[in-house]
Amino acid sequence: MDELKVMAKALKMSFHARMQYKADSIVATLAVFFRESTGIIVIYLTLMKFDTLGDWNINELLFLYSILFLTYSAVVVLFADLRDFSRMIREGRFDRLMLTPRGLLIQLISNNADVIAAFGHGGLGVLLFIVSASRVGITWNFTTTIYYISAIIGGILIQGGMFVFFSSLSFYFVETNSLRDIFYWQMRRFAGYPISIFGKFFQTIMIYVVPFAFVNYFPAQYLLRKSDLAQYPELYIYVAPLVGVVLYTAAYLFWRISVKNYKSTGN
Amino acid sequence: MIEVKNISKVYKIAKKGKHGIFSREYEHRRAVDDISFSINEGEIVGFIGPNGAGKSTTIKMLSGILHPDIGSICVNGYIPYKQRKKYVANIGVVFGQKSQLNWDLPLIESFELIRYIYKIPKKKYEKNLAKFIDLLDMREFINQPVRQLSLGQKMRGDIVAALLHSPKIVFFDEPTIGLDVVAKEKIREFIKYLNRTENITMIFTTHDMQDIEKVCDRLIIIDKGHKIYDGTVSEIKRKYAARKIIEAEMADDSAADLAKFGNNVKITDISEHGKICKRFEFDSERCPVNEVMGSIFSQYDVNDISIKEPEIDGIIRDIYEGELQL
Repeated sequence: MDELKVMAKALKMSFHARMQYKADSIVATLAVFFRESTGIIVIYLTLMKFDTLGDWNINELLFLYSILFLTYSAVVVLFADLRDFSRMIREGRFDRLMLTPRGLLIQLISNNADVIAAFGHGGLGVLLFIVSASRVGITWNFTTTIYYISAIIGGILIQGGMFVFFSSLSFYFVETNSLRDIFYWQMRRFAGYPISIFGKFFQTIMIYVVPFAFVNYFPAQYLLRKSDLAQYPELYIYVAPLVGVVLYTAAYLFWRISVKNYKSTGN
Repeated sequence: MIEVKNISKVYKIAKKGKHGIFSREYEHRRAVDDISFSINEGEIVGFIGPNGAGKSTTIKMLSGILHPDIGSICVNGYIPYKQRKKYVANIGVVFGQKSQLNWDLPLIESFELIRYIYKIPKKKYEKNLAKFIDLLDMREFINQPVRQLSLGQKMRGDIVAALLHSPKIVFFDEPTIGLDVVAKEKIREFIKYLNRTENITMIFTTHDMQDIEKVCDRLIIIDKGHKIYDGTVSEIKRKYAARKIIEAEMADDSAADLAKFGNNVKITDISEHGKICKRFEFDSERCPVNEVMGSIFSQYDVNDISIKEPEIDGIIRDIYEGELQL
């Protein structure tokens, strides 16, 4: 509980700090919003010509995409410091955390929030959800709503877990950004599409290595039941929300071991 | 209070140009090599040493950021690197070069967050804050965003941030770096006052010898990972009081012969602005002052002459440069 109080206070500070530069913040948020929209526009234009991608129509694709944006919006509120972790180590700011009587990971999670990205991605996510959710034939009842919320939380944990994992690598190697670029940022660009349109090898990576499929594809499939689901064990759509819990726990344990390796920097 | 026994820290450094893609040769460098000392409650100890001597590494081990490879540390009943959370709740650390304040927000906001993080009871927090604001003249700028503050004001803010939870031990890592004379003096007085009134144990690293002379009772000098001096500031000065420096201005640049003193008198040319000046450094126990003076007068055409007592700055410089053996 106490941890949540600190988190709320720190989040408020991040927001206040950002709001010192109101005009800049608004412009930056819009920039993120439009930058991310370009991907959507490409899909939209393609679908005007071809109607469907695989078996998916435009609204279903937008729904799939919206989950990616909504989860990322929460990820950057919670995991902003872990996303930029190697910089934090390089600048020696991690030392400060070690001098504070709180858990290291909880400090990283609560300290800074990327308010701009949160609003940019979140705004787009909400917009896409509003546009698509009522047009894809989902019956929103108790079960589907609970599933949807759990899947969102699971998706946040999957991506958070990946950041925790990549951050842990910083304790062994000075520079880990390129690894993270390939496995997180590049993979994320494909996660906006149903994985069934890709080759087998790539699908395997998206399911078992960098499990973006469990962030949005399988949760969306639980609600949409498109025909391409037949290629995968049906179990996957039920366990999707749990994958995040498992992955995050594993990443956390890896972090606990790795942090003992911390060497600090000179000054 | 602080008990350090034979600690060493080894860094593994990849040798340049001697590695393939998968294998590298490493060279082991001892940043800290077998250092021991103990510090009692209420002491202020100055830690000095040239850049790269192992000061920061030692401070980092004392504060729990790094663990020693060999040796043991016990501070205030805790082993810093093993009981991190409990230990750091009772210490404060000020980094002169790394602020912990939020750049965009008023100082008071950063202090408020610290109150939450350290779970400081509201009453105690308010009492401490009021006291520090008063002692450090912070009333005018406490509500100003940190980015608008001067370096001295920011430093005062950082010091308060490290003290709000009433730590028993405080580490100051170059707290006066880049400050003007007045700001430095203010900080020194505050540190001394706090040590006197609340009996807080303090460890102080700096490159400014004035800091050491004015604030610390005790001095630990570290060089190349070794402790080379541990004692009072006045003792080190007494030890080198025999060291004399004579500076003389000559009428002409005639070469002179002070060979009878051999290497015991070190002569440096310090001519500037067209004046021909020389500095003679020697140990007055080996070469009596009057003899050296006599030789200078007989050998040179002297216009002006002065005898100087060595300053702590000079002593330390000579120690760093390896000219003085301790």
